[in-house]
Amino acid sequence: MDYEQSPNRAYGGAAVGSGGRQKKAPVPVKIIVAGGFGVGKTTTVGAISEISPLTTEAEMTSASVGIDNPGQASMKTTTTIAMDFGVLTIDQTLKLYIFGTPGQSRFAFMWDDLIKGALGALVVVDTNRIDDCYPAVDYFERAGLPFVVGVNTFNGQMQYSLDEVRWALAVREDVPVLAYDARFRASVRDALLVVLDQALDKAIRQKAT
Amino acid sequence: MTYPDPDDPAYPARPSVRPFLQSGPQSAGGYRPAPRDEQPPATDPTATLRPFVITSGRTDGADPDIGMETQVTVNPAATPVRLSPEMRAIVGLCVEPVSVAEISARLRLHLGVTRILVGDLRAAGQLDVHVLDNETPDPETIMRVIRGLRAIT
Repeated sequence: MDYEQSPNRAYGGAAVGSGGRQKKAPVPVKIIVAGGFGVGKTTTVGAISEISPLTTEAEMTSASVGIDNPGQASMKTTTTIAMDFGVLTIDQTLKLYIFGTPGQSRFAFMWDDLIKGALGALVVVDTNRIDDCYPAVDYFERAGLPFVVGVNTFNGQMQYSLDEVRWALAVREDVPVLAYDARFRASVRDALLVVLDQALDKAIRQKAT
Repeated sequence: MTYPDPDDPAYPARPSVRPFLQSGPQSAGGYRPAPRDEQPPATDPTATLRPFVITSGRTDGADPDIGMETQVTVNPAATPVRLSPEMRAIVGLCVEPVSVAEISARLRLHLGVTRILVGDLRAAGQLDVHVLDNETPDPETIMRVIRGLRAIT
C-alpha cells in the first residue's frame, strides 16, 4: 500500500499532508519497561504515569494459554496478553511514554517495533523468578538498546543481593543493576533517571562519532 | 567484584546463570533483533485475529513509520467523507494530538488494526501523522526529559 511521503519530515513532528494552521503535536519519546508476569511492570508504569495505565492488545496466538506462570507466591490469576502504557507530559512539546511489555521470548516479535526510537529500557526483575527476564536482557543487549536492570523489592526484601543478581544475569559492568520499589513514584522516577543517563551516554557517544 | 564459587555448598539456592550468554550466532539463543530493512516474518494465516475483519482482512501493510507513540491529529483541511464507525471514532479522538497506542486503548481496537486504519486515514487525507525523522532522539531532547522527570515529586 502506498502512503504519501512527507516532504519535510523534520524531527519535531512536522505535519504530513496539507494541514494549515494546526496545534503542534508534541514530540513523543518512550521508555520500555520489560519483565515477566507479575513482576510489577504495570505497577511501575502506573506509579509514574499521569493517567491510569492504558492497555492495548497486540498480536498474540493462543499457544501460550496455560503456560504463563505467575509464581506460587503471586496472587495474579489472570494474564492479559497486552501492553500497559502510561504517559508523562514533560512540557507542551514533549511527552514521555512508558510501555510495559512482557519479557518472555514469545513476545519478542513485538519488541522490534517497540524499541524503534526508544530511549532505553528498564528490565524489571523478581528475584524469585529471575530467569523470566533473560530473554529481554538478551534482546536488549543484541539490539544495543541502553537498559538498566531494576530489582523490584516487593516488601523491601530481596532474596538475593544485587551482586548475586548481576552475577546471574552476567550483564556488562556498565549496565546498572539497582533495587527499586515499583509502588513508589519517587523510586520509579529514580530508576527511570538511571535509564535516561544510559540513554544520554549513548546519544552523546553517537553524536561524537 | 568477587562472586561466590558456584560449587560452594554454602550457596545452595543461587539463581542459574543466563543460559544463552555464550551462544554463537547460529545457536537457538532466543529471539534476535530483526535486521532493520527486513520485513517481519509472515504470520500463519490461521492465526490471524477476528478484528481484522474491519481492515478487510489485512494484517500487515501497516506503515512502519507509524509507531505506538506516534502522534496523530485531524487534518483540518480534510474533506468530509463517509467513514466506517471505527474510522469515525479514530478521527473523533484526534482533535487533540493523540498517540496510536492511546487510540488503540481508548477505542479497544487491536493495536495492529489501529495502525492499519490510521495508515488508511492518513492516505485518505483525513489524519495528519506526525512522523519523526531521526529514530533516536538527540541528547538535548533526553536532557529535557531528565529535567522534566527530576521536577516531579
